[in-house]
Amino acid sequence: MSVLLELRQLAVSFATDDGTVRAVDGIDLSLERGRTLGLVGESGCGKSVTSLAVMGLLPPENSMVKGEVRFEGRDLLTLGADTLRDMRGARLAMIFQEPMTSLNPAYTVGDQIIEAIQRHQGLSAADARARAIEMLRTVRISSPEKRIDDYPHKLSGGMRQRAMIAMALACGPELLIADEPTTALDVTIQAQILDLMRGLRRDTGTAIILITHDLGVVAEMADDVAVMYAGQIVERAPVRALFARPEHPYTVGLLGSIPRLDEKRERLPSIEGRVPDMSRPPDGCRFAARCPFVELACRAETPPLVEVAPGHLTRCRRAPLAQVLP
Amino acid sequence: MSALLEVAGLAKHFPVRRGAFGLVSGHVRAVDGVDFELRAGETLAIVGESGCGKSTVGRLVLRLIEPSAGQVRFEGEDLLALSDGAMRARRQRMQVIFQDPYASLNPRMTVGAMLGEPLMLHGLAKNEAARKARVGELLDLVGLRPDHARRYPHEFSGGQRQRLAIARALAVEPKLIVADEPVSALDVSIQAQVINLMRSLQQRFGLAYIFISHDLAVVKHIADRIAVMYLGKIVETATTDELFRNPRHPYTRALLAAVPLPDPTAARERTLLEGDIPSAMNPPSGCRFHTRCTFAREACKRDEPALADDGQAHATACPYWPEFPPPAVLAEAANRDADRIRLTRLQAAFVNNQQREAS
Repeated sequence: MSVLLELRQLAVSFATDDGTVRAVDGIDLSLERGRTLGLVGESGCGKSVTSLAVMGLLPPENSMVKGEVRFEGRDLLTLGADTLRDMRGARLAMIFQEPMTSLNPAYTVGDQIIEAIQRHQGLSAADARARAIEMLRTVRISSPEKRIDDYPHKLSGGMRQRAMIAMALACGPELLIADEPTTALDVTIQAQILDLMRGLRRDTGTAIILITHDLGVVAEMADDVAVMYAGQIVERAPVRALFARPEHPYTVGLLGSIPRLDEKRERLPSIEGRVPDMSRPPDGCRFAARCPFVELACRAETPPLVEVAPGHLTRCRRAPLAQVLP
Repeated sequence: MSALLEVAGLAKHFPVRRGAFGLVSGHVRAVDGVDFELRAGETLAIVGESGCGKSTVGRLVLRLIEPSAGQVRFEGEDLLALSDGAMRARRQRMQVIFQDPYASLNPRMTVGAMLGEPLMLHGLAKNEAARKARVGELLDLVGLRPDHARRYPHEFSGGQRQRLAIARALAVEPKLIVADEPVSALDVSIQAQVINLMRSLQQRFGLAYIFISHDLAVVKHIADRIAVMYLGKIVETATTDELFRNPRHPYTRALLAAVPLPDPTAARERTLLEGDIPSAMNPPSGCRFHTRCTFAREACKRDEPALADDGQAHATACPYWPEFPPPAVLAEAANRDADRIRLTRLQAAFVNNQQREAS
């Protein structure tokens, strides 16, 4: 397996009225070709900012990106805007929670897919149209010959999501970043979209970074998982290990706090308190204030990510957690 | 025990107007004949996807919108026969919490003023000192501090705002709270805090909840009974345990099968529902679910099935359910292997942490 994407000490900060906010603070990650990485965490943990930094889509006026984003060995952060624009869409593509953020309401669905195909693949208008119809069929939109001339607002939420996926995949990217792709959808429609994504991944071998707050979606889709908290990765593991043997207290709490269909408990073990203010992150472990296993030393310095089992890393100085149990 | 709330034949048809003269060109049958009962202290969850009419039912029950047909009896009294003034007085006993705590709190009022207002309106506090004391008590009840009364809503996080919305609902000592997707906008760790809070308040004050949600897993943790809606009608209703153990209606089964489980080892039944949810303006004939139902037959396009009770409080709007193959039962995660035991013990530390914070 070869590495497709590698993030090294990626950091993103924003200038705000309250001072500098370090939204992403030193992320190391790697993704192999054809694999799916689930990037999970709650609002404000930095998961979406990380993906926008990879795509080069952060506003340059008020954001500062540091570190390296190596895609097929080249650091995207050092590329010029034109080169990056050529790569986006062709080699790396992104889909969002709300399809209308990437579909232009003033153009038909077909116009937008055709534009992407012509720009990146240099096909004739007729060939590009045929390819666009083919893509709509691939994402299981019925009567694609007709749908191609529809405006986005004519489509249902699920159909729009399919159209956006068709547009993202039209040029056969190596990497697809999907930011909460099913969060706005009803559960039966979500199941359709996830099934579609699984099929496309199998057929095309596209690597996926799936950003979501939904641990159920991660369990169904991801090979590996990275859990983010307050701008840092706090745990990284193969999907089965993460769900069976989480080694960071935040992951333990998060798994406990989700109501599950296959379990009923009197009281959900919720995580008390709230995430730290990222313009003034605390010293030491950022989860310390909410952690039931906290010790004095946890607040002294930021714990490093350490490997507790092959491929299983945690940013907790008390790990392995078996030792904190009475 | 008699019912706190009885709803019969409840319907709401919204007119759709078209063109320059606003002529009525059709009706959205948002709610189309719904019956249910709710006892004091009980939680009924109404679940379903977008456009099924669940939120409209909540608003109709409180007469925030006027029904097109049907009956709503609260403590034996027909609410629809009441004058506006009399209805306002009844609202002291029935409150509502919405999904978006950002939109439902007045940004220009301090928390103290916001919580104090209903106390004055309904004559629940005799003087300024009593009002202040009660506001402090309400904040304490929902896990906030009495000195929070001086702050404005924007100074609180989403979870804290939902606590404020709950405190405001509790201010008038209601018997019924309609909670419309109360935790849907919150992060999971915060969601659990609010669910736990709602449950403990229910036990303490004997509150009845109508809990409207699209999230079956959340509902499983809070509801005593569940009604599943599809396109304006209840298609199945049963106690929570029974519904999850023996789902009968093909829609309920599909809904349960579609929920992703946070367990990468789970073997799941994959019955994907084809197509989109049809428009409530022009619902399918016969059984409204027939266009997406894997078990549909000719008669389903023609005959509208009644919600038939089996005599044990499990009612299903599909006459053919006994003929279907049994659904794959969701194995309760009773798997007591070493990993599971370890995880449960670690999570217990979070529960203990909660209790420490509470005391």
